Amino acid sequence: MFNKESGQINVKEAETIIGPSIKVKGNFHGQGNIIIEGMVEGSIKTDKFLLIGDKSKITANIEAKDAKIGGEVNGNINISGYLEINASAKISGEIKASQISVARGAELNGQLIMNKNSEALSSQKKA
Amino acid sequence: MHIYIYDTYVSQKKNNSTIIKIETRITDLGLNGKIVRLSMLSSLFEVVQNEIKKGAKTITVVGNNNILHNAINALAKLKSQNIIQKTIPLGFIPVGKVNNSIAFNLGLSLEESACDTISARRIKTFDLGQANDHYFLTEAIIGSRGTSVNIDQNYSIEILGVGEIGVVNLPILSELPKEAGSNAEDGILELFIKTTENNKFLPFPNKNMKQSIFSFTELTIQNKTKKVLLDKTFEINTPVKISIAPVKIDLIVGKSLKF
Repeated sequence: MFNKESGQINVKEAETIIGPSIKVKGNFHGQGNIIIEGMVEGSIKTDKFLLIGDKSKITANIEAKDAKIGGEVNGNINISGYLEINASAKISGEIKASQISVARGAELNGQLIMNKNSEALSSQKKA
Repeated sequence: MHIYIYDTYVSQKKNNSTIIKIETRITDLGLNGKIVRLSMLSSLFEVVQNEIKKGAKTITVVGNNNILHNAINALAKLKSQNIIQKTIPLGFIPVGKVNNSIAFNLGLSLEESACDTISARRIKTFDLGQANDHYFLTEAIIGSRGTSVNIDQNYSIEILGVGEIGVVNLPILSELPKEAGSNAEDGILELFIKTTENNKFLPFPNKNMKQSIFSFTELTIQNKTKKVLLDKTFEINTPVKISIAPVKIDLIVGKSLKF
């Protein structure tokens, strides 16, 4: 989905791309990978991967399987799998994830809950 | 029975030699049929309806994007009204290079060479987009300035940059990335927004284009001043509700189809 080393976005598997000049208001629910480089107000939900770019501004509750966050997020984040937080991220809200990595320089304000059960549940469902 | 419907400009004197070549080639291929020449006052919808009632098995339009768009609309409306119950393929013979961008992407060569494609009868079924009570094969386009978009009644999109909004069924006119996977056979339309970054210190837009892509089932476009352009030929006023049409179209396409 994205090149971890260079941080470049690969649009190949993205069902939705919200560009930098775009502001989305409302309940934005998708079933595929989502790339956000613009602004979102409301809620974001996807069963797959969510990438929030460095310059994006999100005022929304977020639900996704896996996510990489580099921008500003005001809202609760619920990730059933792996959450990667970049150095440029500014997050205000509760964070739930099964696995997490936080880069040096990231700003986090809120409760962090490691939710090991959700990962186990999702792997049980797959089996 | 083959029906050939000529657009008004095709009957102009300057096209005489082209038409003679087309008609000769049609005869050589054994595809002779009835020729209907449209005038400024004739309605393509009525012509198509009458010929189907008389037993037409193939309708072929001769002209450019304009007559192709109108013929698609006529057939789709007749299908939606249950006047057509069987498959009636639509053939297309493009005449002239002006306003004939759709033909190229359907794998059709210009003029008499397109007759061979009609003869090969390679039929492909395509989804159609529906914008209010009009149909489109390729794209519905509007400028982004002053335009608001509401998708599936769940969320709205505000476009902050200058650019163009396109609802894409067949991605042949815009530069939609192939990765977006847009095609006219998946029952889904894509909203494609192309913007330039605004820079208030520069008198001209930044050349760095930014793209946004959304898949949807239904959206509404509103703009107080601008109109939505369908298939680069027909304009309709907003608000425009766009969705996948319940009817499809059977087109005769060339071997070198571009999608």
